[in-house]
Amino acid sequence: MDTYKILEIKESVFENNDRQADLLRADLKKEKTFLLNLMSSPGSGKTTTVLRTIEALKDEMSIGVLEADIDSDVDANTVSKTGVKVIQLHTGGMCHLDADMTKQGLEGLGTEGVDFAILENVGNLVCPAEFDTGASKNAMILSVPEGDDKPLKYPLMFSIVDVLLINKMDSIGFFDFDLEVVKERVKKLNPNIKVIPITAKTGEGIDEWANWLRTEVKNWNEK
Amino acid sequence: MHELGVVIEVVKTVENFAEKNGVTKIDKIVLQIGELSSMIPKYIEACYPAAVDGTMMEETKLEIEILPGNGICKECNKVFNIIQTKGKCPICGSKDNEIISGKEFMIKEILAC
Repeated sequence: MDTYKILEIKESVFENNDRQADLLRADLKKEKTFLLNLMSSPGSGKTTTVLRTIEALKDEMSIGVLEADIDSDVDANTVSKTGVKVIQLHTGGMCHLDADMTKQGLEGLGTEGVDFAILENVGNLVCPAEFDTGASKNAMILSVPEGDDKPLKYPLMFSIVDVLLINKMDSIGFFDFDLEVVKERVKKLNPNIKVIPITAKTGEGIDEWANWLRTEVKNWNEK
Repeated sequence: MHELGVVIEVVKTVENFAEKNGVTKIDKIVLQIGELSSMIPKYIEACYPAAVDGTMMEETKLEIEILPGNGICKECNKVFNIIQTKGKCPICGSKDNEIISGKEFMIKEILAC
């Protein structure tokens, strides 16, 4: 019979990924590339928001986009029409990106000379919140039709992001969505969160969002 | 779906550990899952075979230890299980407490040859 020995690991499951994420962040800092991890549910308007963001900032900085989806390249196709560098990542059934996949994606994209990289994560409010991608900052979109109860249902996501965009503000008249209630709920989970109401389709609120990004990109690439 | 991604992460971590420590065969892996973590032991068990398929852990057994979701009452310092009492202190009835355990999701140990 084999003799077994017990080896203690005592490691959090996320530690391995967290380490890789920290390494990636350090690399990005050196290369002067600001990476934004953009998360949301499916259909909240991530791609439209990405398009608006590119439109607002492409004349002042070099932008690259990583589109992550389980399948298809519709998003990469849409974004490529803006003329910025874009790469489509297929997670092959996985519901989130981890630091290693992000690193591979960035290598595929080529970050040299890219000031600002946007990672459009898989549409999902659960798993992406648990995996640090190595991004400089994390943002999420909550769209009005999804409802103002989402911070109560997916608290982790709302507690780890630096900024929350509330999209589809133009539709607020059709839904029982209370902006003040949402703000109150997210501040309880995350006192430092910045909340910016936008309508990606019309461009409302994009100025404030672009300003936030300008400052963050500048801070990241300067220090 | 949610659990599969994290179980694959477990496999990666253990494989790294095995490589570093010269372990070639693992009989059993022990995970610790807190009652307040977002992991459901039943689903971890269900997707475990898929996650280890084709890896060095294919034959490895899985054991899960549940860690209680405990909090300490900020009013009277009583330590109690938050889930059983729905966050209410069984002594003074206060709902003001601090979580002290139960959010863990740890790889505790492996049993190797």
